Amino acid sequence: MNFWFAVFRQAGRNLRQTWTSQFMTFLTVSLSVLIFAFFYLIYTNMLGAGDRLSDDLRLIVYLEEEPGPQMQEQLRRKIQNFDDVEEIHFISREEAYQRFARQLGENSDVLKDMPKNFLPASIEVIPLKSLRGYNQIKLFSEYLANLPGTEKVQYGQEWVERFYYFTRLLTIVVFLSGTLLILTATFMVAYTIRLTIMGRQDELELLKLVGATNSYIRTPFLIEGILQGFMGSIIGLTALYGLFQWISSHFAGPGLLSLFQFSFFPPIVIFLIILSSICLCSIGSYTSIRKFLRI
Amino acid sequence: MIEMIKVSRTYDPNITALSDISLSIATGEMFFLIGRSGAGKTTLLKLICNMETPSNGLIEVAGYNINKLKGKDLAHLRQKIGVAYQDFKLLSNRTVAENIAIAMEVSYKKPRAIRHRVRDLLEQLQLVDKHDTLTGELSRGEQQRVALARSVANSPRLILVDEPTGNLDASTTKRVMELLTRCNKAGATIVIATHDDSIYQQGNHRIMELRDGNIHSLTRGQLS
Repeated sequence: MNFWFAVFRQAGRNLRQTWTSQFMTFLTVSLSVLIFAFFYLIYTNMLGAGDRLSDDLRLIVYLEEEPGPQMQEQLRRKIQNFDDVEEIHFISREEAYQRFARQLGENSDVLKDMPKNFLPASIEVIPLKSLRGYNQIKLFSEYLANLPGTEKVQYGQEWVERFYYFTRLLTIVVFLSGTLLILTATFMVAYTIRLTIMGRQDELELLKLVGATNSYIRTPFLIEGILQGFMGSIIGLTALYGLFQWISSHFAGPGLLSLFQFSFFPPIVIFLIILSSICLCSIGSYTSIRKFLRI
Repeated sequence: MIEMIKVSRTYDPNITALSDISLSIATGEMFFLIGRSGAGKTTLLKLICNMETPSNGLIEVAGYNINKLKGKDLAHLRQKIGVAYQDFKLLSNRTVAENIAIAMEVSYKKPRAIRHRVRDLLEQLQLVDKHDTLTGELSRGEQQRVALARSVANSPRLILVDEPTGNLDASTTKRVMELLTRCNKAGATIVIATHDDSIYQQGNHRIMELRDGNIHSLTRGQLS
């Protein structure tokens, strides 16, 4: 019989003897992982949706007058002075009229009596991907608003602002729920191990007296913590996957969810969640061993 | 095997359990500790197996200062010391076989060897039918034999036995002593603390009598 066989057998005995408290801890860990992973999944999907929407982000600078070629060059230079941009398009009044007419499609008749220069000339600025944070866009739009001859800058401020604050709120929720659930899971595992240790004080004392090494006595408790973390995270993530599939199949179609293109965690994130859960439960187990297992 | 030099043990508040005990027990010796209750026999055994630490003095077991050993070294030495405690220290929710096997499991003996040894000991102590019985369901005499079986299971070099025959009838006492004598003949050093003069009078082993924590006499038993 070797060390690992002996400690795994001992861990099995522990689990058998204290299965009720072990089961409760297992449920707590599973729920903690489920709740945290749920918020984290929403958060990552919102970020993904934000990324996709920011691909279409462009700032429209409405001008008082249509700029000549010299003025266009000057404006282009000034815009690039702030930062490099992906693209700059100058849209003349007539081009604006034609675009509008295209957008109206069958209803373009309504424009029949309107002069072709009734829309203002504008500059369409597509910022670099690296310059698409809310604050950067806000600063950029303020800079553009101060360019000579600028009447107004538009980029869907309200929508971008709301989306930004929503993701900020979600970040806080993920952070808080993560912290609280980490503490809960760690505490529960520590408490269960503590109960097991206290309930088996006689056995542990005997083991010590018959010559069990510290690692022989401690390792089974550590294995329990690792198992709690592993099993808890697997079950939590499986439940979340089930929930995700259910939502995907029941809310698929041309709704809000299809706009966001919800996707589950990639394998590396799943691996990291499981690993974190194992680490936290091991820490809980280890602190109890250090504190209550006097050997 | 055991060297004790001026060993004392006091408990709060100011109770002296042992005072200036100096003693040498040779390897392979069977040694008897006698004395009334409270004379210090159990304390002496606890000091030898490092269950307690002396207030003063030096204790060496197999050449090691047992009070300075820690961690793995202490664990490995303890694997070579079998102790049958007066309060048995059995796990009442485990079977007889499991209780005996514990001593062998900690030194990673093979499961087959453990099963074989457990069965052999149970046969020697007439407990075969109790193999799968929880120790909490046994009589005190049976529990005492299980505790003894556990102490010798790992074939230790030193066996410390506290009142091994206190709850046994004459024929079981004889079996227990036969088992201990076999271990002794196989090379184990044995220290027995007892009230029972029938087990120490029938040999020429050394007998030390303790009174109020002091050595009162150190004599040799008479061959029958």
